Amino acid sequence: MKKCKCKFGRFLLKLLGVALVANVALFIVFFFDLDGKLLFNVVEPFLKKHYDDMERKDTLQMPYDMDKYPKYDY
Amino acid sequence: MKDLKHLIYFEDLLQEANNALVQQAKAEGKYAIGYTCYFMPEVLLDLPGCFSVRLRAPRCTSPDIATYYMSARVCHYGRSLFERALEGGFNFLDAQMATETCTVTCRFQEHLQRMDIIKNDNFFCEFIDVPFKRTENNYEHYREQLRYHVLGKLNEKFGIDVSDKALMQAIEQHNEVCRLINEIGDYRKLDNPTITGYEFQVIQLATLVCPKYLILDKLRETAEEMKTREPDPKPNYRCKVVLAGSENDDPDFTKLIESCGALVVCDRHCYGAVESRQPIVVKEGQEPLDAIARHYLDTSNCPRFMPQDEMRERKRRLAELVKEYKADGLIIASNKFCEYWSYERVIDTVVMKRDFGIPVCSIEKEYINSASGQLRTRFQAFVESVEIKKIQEGK
Amino acid sequence: MAFKKKLDLKNLDIKKAAKDFWYGKPHGERRLGDLYEDKTGLYKHREWRGVKDTMYYFYNVWLYNYVHMVIDVQKFGGVVNFAKGVWRYRWVGQTYLPVLHWFDRGMEGLRGEALRASPWHYRGMVCETIRQFQRMFAADTKLHGGKKNDLWYHTMAHNETVWGGIFYPWSDQFDNVSMEMIPYFVTCHVNSHTVHNYIDAVQSIGLPGDPCPMCQAESGLFVLDDMPDYAPFTITSNEACDASVATSILQDWFLDKPLFAMPQPMQFDDPLVLKHCAREIEECWRFIEEQTGVPFNWDQLVKKLEQQNELQKFEWEKWDVAAKTSYYPINGVAQALYRIYYSQDGDRKIWHDCDKKVRKIMEKCVRKKINSFPNTRHRVIAWSCAPLYYSHWCTWAYNCWGLNVVINMDSLMFDMTIRTDTYENCLEDMARYHMWAPMRRMAVGGMHHIFELWENMEKFNCDMVAMYDQLQCKGMQGVHGLFEDEFRARNIHAFWMPHALPDSRTVSRMEIRRIINDYMTTVMHEEPLDPSLLDFDDSMGW
Repeated sequence: MKKCKCKFGRFLLKLLGVALVANVALFIVFFFDLDGKLLFNVVEPFLKKHYDDMERKDTLQMPYDMDKYPKYDY
Repeated sequence: MKDLKHLIYFEDLLQEANNALVQQAKAEGKYAIGYTCYFMPEVLLDLPGCFSVRLRAPRCTSPDIATYYMSARVCHYGRSLFERALEGGFNFLDAQMATETCTVTCRFQEHLQRMDIIKNDNFFCEFIDVPFKRTENNYEHYREQLRYHVLGKLNEKFGIDVSDKALMQAIEQHNEVCRLINEIGDYRKLDNPTITGYEFQVIQLATLVCPKYLILDKLRETAEEMKTREPDPKPNYRCKVVLAGSENDDPDFTKLIESCGALVVCDRHCYGAVESRQPIVVKEGQEPLDAIARHYLDTSNCPRFMPQDEMRERKRRLAELVKEYKADGLIIASNKFCEYWSYERVIDTVVMKRDFGIPVCSIEKEYINSASGQLRTRFQAFVESVEIKKIQEGK
Repeated sequence: MAFKKKLDLKNLDIKKAAKDFWYGKPHGERRLGDLYEDKTGLYKHREWRGVKDTMYYFYNVWLYNYVHMVIDVQKFGGVVNFAKGVWRYRWVGQTYLPVLHWFDRGMEGLRGEALRASPWHYRGMVCETIRQFQRMFAADTKLHGGKKNDLWYHTMAHNETVWGGIFYPWSDQFDNVSMEMIPYFVTCHVNSHTVHNYIDAVQSIGLPGDPCPMCQAESGLFVLDDMPDYAPFTITSNEACDASVATSILQDWFLDKPLFAMPQPMQFDDPLVLKHCAREIEECWRFIEEQTGVPFNWDQLVKKLEQQNELQKFEWEKWDVAAKTSYYPINGVAQALYRIYYSQDGDRKIWHDCDKKVRKIMEKCVRKKINSFPNTRHRVIAWSCAPLYYSHWCTWAYNCWGLNVVINMDSLMFDMTIRTDTYENCLEDMARYHMWAPMRRMAVGGMHHIFELWENMEKFNCDMVAMYDQLQCKGMQGVHGLFEDEFRARNIHAFWMPHALPDSRTVSRMEIRRIINDYMTTVMHEEPLDPSLLDFDDSMGW
């Protein structure tokens, strides 16, 4: 029983430790705007390049049929 | 071709809004009613006792005070009208029948309403709401707007007779003008037309800005004259075009196109004859006002109409005009800052060429075209491309 | 220099430093401008607001929103659809990832209750934005190999200017998502770069540069084939201007699916137009019935409208506090964006959840007489349409000059609740609400509407006007001079803020700030509260 309690205590301490480290790490990310810097300097340029290189449909080739749709008169 | 007998007379009438015939009608005790948009039915403003004047501001190249009020970033037409009003050029008006159909002309008319610009104690400016569709709901709405805001106000303020009988009389006069203009205009459908686009536009514009009853005799004489008018033995144009687009009351613009070798055979724009000179048909038992309301919604090709079928059908109607007038191409001209036509022009430029095989020259212009050199280059290039196409097709 | 300053331990006033650490620096000493990296607008470090407020912002805003964004993505369509959408559509990938930076820009300098109330508005908008794009992606045939799934058949697409309330009768079975709200409108606030691609795209097919850039951007989405195909039909409207009417033709061409036009009358004060407008709404309902095969549900409409009325009632309470007290805890940008978003979008649960939180904070402020903007020098009303890429200018204006933007024009648009006692009354009110949509409530239907500024200025106890000058808005440009005349005649302090709605290239944020700075120094002869904010370069910033 005592051993069990001890184990649980250690687990709790570990959990607390992990939570603390995670908190500190997240706070560092937050405070130094690391999320913003990552997104601005890495993610956005990468995605922009991807979008710029994407093949796109030539929308000017879309048909414009004169009789395709009825008059919506109720 | 021999000069038209009354061309200079018609041209003179376009020099200023308060022209000789307007002055004559005013002297006869008639009320002058101004308007800017097709959706204000001119026929109602031509009821016995009053007459319509579609507002223009010829030669207004520097609308300085209007630019202070409306900034330089809005349509030159709206600003020019406002400048002319500020200069006193519209002081002869007894009323302005207004529409909120495009933003800038609306703002111009709101300024007339808000500021004491028109030096006429009886002057008033009344707005109607114009629908964007052609369904029963919209016909009815438009008709009631005309009844209350136009007929009601004309009767209330000036004692104008707005009975069905008076309406029929106005329709009759309107139809007579239409008949004459169409008779003259039909010569543009000939293989070798006997009237130039410039001449026609001058005549058409005169009918929009003068009291109808005072100009009918000259129209009749011109129609008669046209019957025997001989074309030049060798056509002095290189291709024929339909001119479509936004507001255009500048015959010099047409002259510019024609000087580049493209004869303008049909005008489908705000001041053109395609819509405005179709006769109004009153069916048996139909209320004249109802016929008028339906007529003006049905005949308009304005890009303001939003229903899907209508947006698409407009393209076909334009293509049919090109065919009917035996034109070789299409010039789509939108006024700078005109939002309706900016978009319409984009799609026309693609679809008319792609789906109907019609060569298109797409241009943006000012109300008064001082930069004619650039436009001339564009038109000349277009004429050449049409000629090349004709050669390739073996025509 | 800053580094040297930090090392200047000899002159360090420990007591003051400890106080600043614990409570945050007082307004005049913050030097918020020093936090920015040059050009990018990124922070060297985020603002230290004192222990309590920094921790609140860290846990309850930054972390809370990151976590809830993930939850929302999962809840509204799943991570897979989201990933597919990010990969396929520029407007989501390039825009919405840095959303927390959008929070930062809007919340700069806020303390206490304002720091608690304002972010709730942002949270509401983020949640609703995620819901909408996730619905688009889940139903999108372009992300599902051209397959039309059940969601596709149960989603209705509409122009962003069609009020969401039109679709209430079917809201128990269908969802409605506006076409442009998320792919374009909201993006400009979060990341102003994205929209440039769409504006350039539509100009590349021949559209001139002068029509309203908002409509240009909307059309550009279609030109670049960046509009998801998520619904079988579309409803469009003429709101708010000529360009909006005109874009319908490009929508029709590029969408190529059944499109119903539901224009609103322009002269909306005219009693004659009401019946006509009501019939247009009914015709739209007939169209939806015809397209979906599902009948109109009156009970559902009533239920949703009554819920929406609750939102409006709370808005009135907010206005009351904003107008009559100095205890309003919501800053200018949160007020403006949240209000226009939910009133156009219509009733959603998230708005009620956020309002509940905000109500609690606001009531506390009133009860305890907490002034969240104690350095207010001028109570400002912002009029006309705002720069989308610089909607947070009011946060800067308060921090730099003490200009507290209490209310703005777009907030005052849908100023009504809707009767649900009878079908006729309900329809009449819906028609009126529909006609009082953003921009058109003040900008069309007669010039007297735009001059409602004077009565609202008085109502909200404002002594200054921030006059937005949308360079490509024909309606507002067309009334420019009369405003100048009126400002002079009424002896009102007003500064013009030129901009081009979404297009930050026409007038930069820096240029806007310079214009306000010039006005405040030259005309008002005032000194800035925070001189570090006078001049900084954020030209590359989101």
